[in-house]
Amino acid sequence: MRKNLMEILCCPVCKGELELTVTEESGEEVLEGTLRCAACSVDYPISEGIPNLLPKTACED
Amino acid sequence: MKEEDIHRQVRSAYGRVAARQGGCGCGTGCCGTGRTVESVSLGIGYSEEDLAQAPEGANLGLGCGNPVALASLREGDVVLDLGSGAGFDAFLAAERVGPAGRVVGVDMTPEMLDRARENAKKSGRTNVEFRLGEIEHLPVADNSVDVVISNCVINLSTDKRQVFREAFRVLRPGGRLMVSDIVLTAPLPAPLAESALLYSSCVAGALMKEEYLGSIAGAGFAEIAVRGETVFPLDLIVSEPELAGLLAGGERASVEKSIVSVRVGARKPAGCGCDGTC
Repeated sequence: MRKNLMEILCCPVCKGELELTVTEESGEEVLEGTLRCAACSVDYPISEGIPNLLPKTACED
Repeated sequence: MKEEDIHRQVRSAYGRVAARQGGCGCGTGCCGTGRTVESVSLGIGYSEEDLAQAPEGANLGLGCGNPVALASLREGDVVLDLGSGAGFDAFLAAERVGPAGRVVGVDMTPEMLDRARENAKKSGRTNVEFRLGEIEHLPVADNSVDVVISNCVINLSTDKRQVFREAFRVLRPGGRLMVSDIVLTAPLPAPLAESALLYSSCVAGALMKEEYLGSIAGAGFAEIAVRGETVFPLDLIVSEPELAGLLAGGERASVEKSIVSVRVGARKPAGCGCDGTC
């Protein structure tokens, strides 16, 4: 995912802001990392450039 | 069937479709009818130019209309595709909105996302992106999208009202919804309505047309207009032997004309009554 897409992303559950942590990138493109929803205490993984934002709750994590 | 069972069945059916190359075998488009993905696509509203513009392999022949053509996309628009599959409509939309615009596709099937990702690489486009997500729980911020499109997907959701509420939430005031989908003009006979295979073939989960339009209105949309409507040929749906068996006898005639593909447009009102959040 491209970093400039962050502004239109949100948590699928509470719709709050997500915090991006990058572990691998190529220019503007985030290849691996996580999107964390602090309010829900849930981390959504970014794998091979695609964020997995299927809803989950802290107890499933 | 329980909602979560339907959800699992749909995801697994489309996971299998994504894993196949070429013809999809799903009964919704190209299989068992001697028709190719291309001929099905031309028949439901895509042009030769559209087919040439998307990367090879992005079009799985699973649509029932061409929402991109109807959405009158403008350069710079932000577009969200609900149930983006291998990315066909998303790539066409990306062509229309140009480098200043962007297109985000959301799909809940990991195998579809894998194909979309490969196709994005082939296309070399930087204005189209895909997310694994559910259309009932969009990972997209409020009031951030100009146009929501969807092609033959919302019927698969077990909570269509929630899908339309989510589409309304993410659209900017004045933003537009443009969907192609399957609806019914008469209720299905019980054995068909209860068929899991017919659910994942976009029929058993379809709402009655009035209920579908009512769900869009219920989410808050205005200017709801049916832009086109065609009886969806049974042969495109019931290529699977199991479904053909269910349709033996008198059932076939009774459902022949009641499965309809509609193209529906709607708009989120500019002053949307959202308590001042927009």
